[in-house]
Amino acid sequence: MTVITHPRRKSNLATMIDSAGGVSVGVALAQARANIEAMRGQALAVIESGISALEAVPAPSAREETPARLDQAYRAATTLIDAAGPFELFDLCRAAAGLCDLIGAIDPEQPFDWRIVTVHARSLRLLQTLPPEATEERARVLDSLRQVIERKLAQTG
Amino acid sequence: MSALGEALRKSAVINLSGAVTMVVDDSPFALELTTQSLMGFGIRPRHTCLGAAEAMDILKEQNVDLLLVDCDMPGIDGFELVRWLRRSGLDPNAFVPVIMTAAHIRRPRVAEARDCGASFIITKPFSATILLERIVWVARDSRPFLEIGDYFGPDRRFRTTPSPPEERRADLIRKREFEAAKDAASTEGETV
Repeated sequence: MTVITHPRRKSNLATMIDSAGGVSVGVALAQARANIEAMRGQALAVIESGISALEAVPAPSAREETPARLDQAYRAATTLIDAAGPFELFDLCRAAAGLCDLIGAIDPEQPFDWRIVTVHARSLRLLQTLPPEATEERARVLDSLRQVIERKLAQTG
Repeated sequence: MSALGEALRKSAVINLSGAVTMVVDDSPFALELTTQSLMGFGIRPRHTCLGAAEAMDILKEQNVDLLLVDCDMPGIDGFELVRWLRRSGLDPNAFVPVIMTAAHIRRPRVAEARDCGASFIITKPFSATILLERIVWVARDSRPFLEIGDYFGPDRRFRTTPSPPEERRADLIRKREFEAAKDAASTEGETV
């Protein structure tokens, strides 16, 4: 196969990053974290609406509805990861990512056990309402979700 | 990739204030989150787009220095946008550093992610540290661009032992270390 190599030209970004002025990495990160933290309230609202959206996705009544319904559930779960990740709500991220892993791995044309989505929606709701110090309960919820996902992923190969 | 984090010392100084940056994400919240992070780094994004079509129109007309694109978007997704850009013949935009972000990548799309021509893909959870590390990394990325079959983008063969990127004040740091070592050696000599 033919390979054409374009020698790398120095990008504008490369030139400007070392130019005079600017900020230290420590200051840049502190500023960025402060800006992100100011969005926490907004993030919690997005998480709430993401869980509600997941709860509201109806089970497909016919096989041809499955891909669209799965896509809805997948998008609701990725919304949760988007909003929960920057605020270190890792339990929510883990639960949502597990659902994404499964939906992303299966053939959407094949029958899908919708109870998995329902269980994830309920678990996410539970994780959101449990107090932060309920570490054992959180771990149990995540562990049972992990087992569900592992079993189903093993079935999909 | 831990070397990336180690290379990004808190005292290192960066100047990204002049970077013409475009952020593309269909989620208004994620778009705002990325924008706020960039503003913390001193970058004021010039273009924020909720869809790839809008981004394409701008990229045809205006040069950008850095592009951040969400992978999973309805309609034209991030992979298609980056593939289009790399093959667009737009100079210099076709060669611009591109960082893609993804909450999750579906298993059948992993190959697309690898082959679209992005400089780097960040999988979430998102953090300011990771984003800044990747921006600094792509800024110092010296990989050539390759055209192989359908692929057009940076050489995907990473070196297993990447050389740490040089900081602006690397020479001063080396000088200081050298002098400290020299002082230590002379002190040792005096003791003996």
